[in-house]
Amino acid sequence: MLTQLRLTTTKYSAITLTNLQNQLAYIWDALGRAVFIILIMFIFVQLWTAVYQSQNSTEIAGLTLANTIWYFLIAEVMELGKIRHDTRITEEVRDGSIAYTLVRPYNYLAYHFFNGLAEGGVKMVLIFALGLPLVLYYAGLPTLEWAHVPLVLLVMALAMLLDFFILSIIGLLAFVTEDTFSFRLIYQKLVFILGGLMIPLDFLPDWLQGTARVLPFNLTTYAPAKLFVAFNWAQFWQIVGLQLLWLLIFGAVLLWQYRLMTQRLAINGG
Amino acid sequence: MQYETDRPVIEVRDLAKRFQLKQKAPGLRGSLQAVWRPEMREITAVSPLSFTLQEGEMLAFIGPNGAGKSTTIKMLTGILFPSSGHATVLGCVPWQQRRQLAYQIGSVFGQKPQLWYHLPADDTFRLFARIYELDMKAYQRRRDFLVEAFQIGDLLQTPVRKLSLGQRMKCEIAASLLHSPRLIFLDEPTIGLDVVAKQQIRDAIRTLNETENTTIFLTSHDAGDIESLCRRVIVINHGRIIFDDKTSVLKRQFLRRKVVDVRFANALTEPFALPGVETVKQGTYGVKLEFDSRQIPVESVIQQVISGHACNDINIADPPMEEIIREIYAV
Repeated sequence: MLTQLRLTTTKYSAITLTNLQNQLAYIWDALGRAVFIILIMFIFVQLWTAVYQSQNSTEIAGLTLANTIWYFLIAEVMELGKIRHDTRITEEVRDGSIAYTLVRPYNYLAYHFFNGLAEGGVKMVLIFALGLPLVLYYAGLPTLEWAHVPLVLLVMALAMLLDFFILSIIGLLAFVTEDTFSFRLIYQKLVFILGGLMIPLDFLPDWLQGTARVLPFNLTTYAPAKLFVAFNWAQFWQIVGLQLLWLLIFGAVLLWQYRLMTQRLAINGG
Repeated sequence: MQYETDRPVIEVRDLAKRFQLKQKAPGLRGSLQAVWRPEMREITAVSPLSFTLQEGEMLAFIGPNGAGKSTTIKMLTGILFPSSGHATVLGCVPWQQRRQLAYQIGSVFGQKPQLWYHLPADDTFRLFARIYELDMKAYQRRRDFLVEAFQIGDLLQTPVRKLSLGQRMKCEIAASLLHSPRLIFLDEPTIGLDVVAKQQIRDAIRTLNETENTTIFLTSHDAGDIESLCRRVIVINHGRIIFDDKTSVLKRQFLRRKVVDVRFANALTEPFALPGVETVKQGTYGVKLEFDSRQIPVESVIQQVISGHACNDINIADPPMEEIIREIYAV
């Protein structure tokens, strides 16, 4: 029992470690791609400074300008650090390499999770590190208390997992549809608008806010960013509860879908 | 789970696979029609197949492109669910016990890479050791054995992207053998390789079969692979088995053309011609003849040759395996 647990742990951690080495093999490339966060953050800072000035107030919906700037950095870190295994699954089905990846002795989705963890982790660190100086310059230190850090990290972890579940559902569709780009695009746009990537949910009109808050999209991006800039116990419990609920729902969908899709898998070529 | 050795390694009974294929008429109109009312056509990739494979056998499973070879392999490794029929591989139903089976089988797809492109092969080897839950000491021994068998000792520290195709392929195959599978599926393992690399790979596979009694299931378009490795051949075309016997029987049964090389004692003075026999090449002291042995018996041709000329040497050869395969596919 204990031996099996140790073997399973080393198995999945080896997958993460191997991809981490792979990421480090072309870290300069990743760094080059991450540099554009500086530009994005600069535009956000200019834009929201203008908005706050035009409103002639120091707070909008309870968030200061400094809060908002920090919010966007965290939201971008969450968005850009997402595990993009849906495209990888699509590629595997298209080029047939799924003939290798599906028949190894591991859980196929867990493989993709631990594989993507390395890639996502590296990206998150890079985006955060590159965006940090600019944010510190314009917004100063964050107001998050040390005691709340583990709680925000927990929400971040659940956010990543929830996003992984949603993208898994999209990725597994490739077993039958071969192309999943359009599904991904729709999901991405929903995260943009209802997930708080373009604008914090607090700034949306009330009728839209109410709906957006219970949908899963905000729980992957808005939730950790908001708690980071303005931690609030009531909101924390609501978010964690909703995250767990959606994980349960999507988890059940995934179980059913995985069984169905593996039966219907059609692979190209000989 | 230890599998009983007296049962066949692979048992396949009426295994079939059909796919639904979307059809589209040419042009924009066809595209629009396909959006609203996609026309589906069912294609049979594999018609009901039945065969068994015993432990330690080396089987060549051959056929032209699109014959259903890879689909069969994919059903036997558990990636694809069959449309009907049964199969057990080492006692497991592949598509139901995929993970359990994974520890006991290895597969190599010549046209698909499995090694991490930016990392040295050794890193992928270590990852596989963890994935297959190998004891690290046993893994080291196995790795050393495979390094020796495939002669890849000096390649393991180089990023895979810097290796030549032949070097990479040897590492790819070795990677699939790290967990000491009892059965290996090799899907065109030597495709695109030079003669030396091909030979090294064949030697290594043969060593594995001889020392560990590993069962080999090979598909290849290379007649050399088949001839040098496999005693048994299954030919599949349009999803059906059209031949299942020894490699030597295959050669005999489909041997239609014979090639005869004659070396004469004296110089030829005029063009050499025999009825029903094609003169492929003619030199001063020799000719190369080719004919269909079912229409003209070999002894008749030889008699005609020696009755008119004094000969120093006569060599009767089978056509190369390539040609035999070409003939079978045309059936």
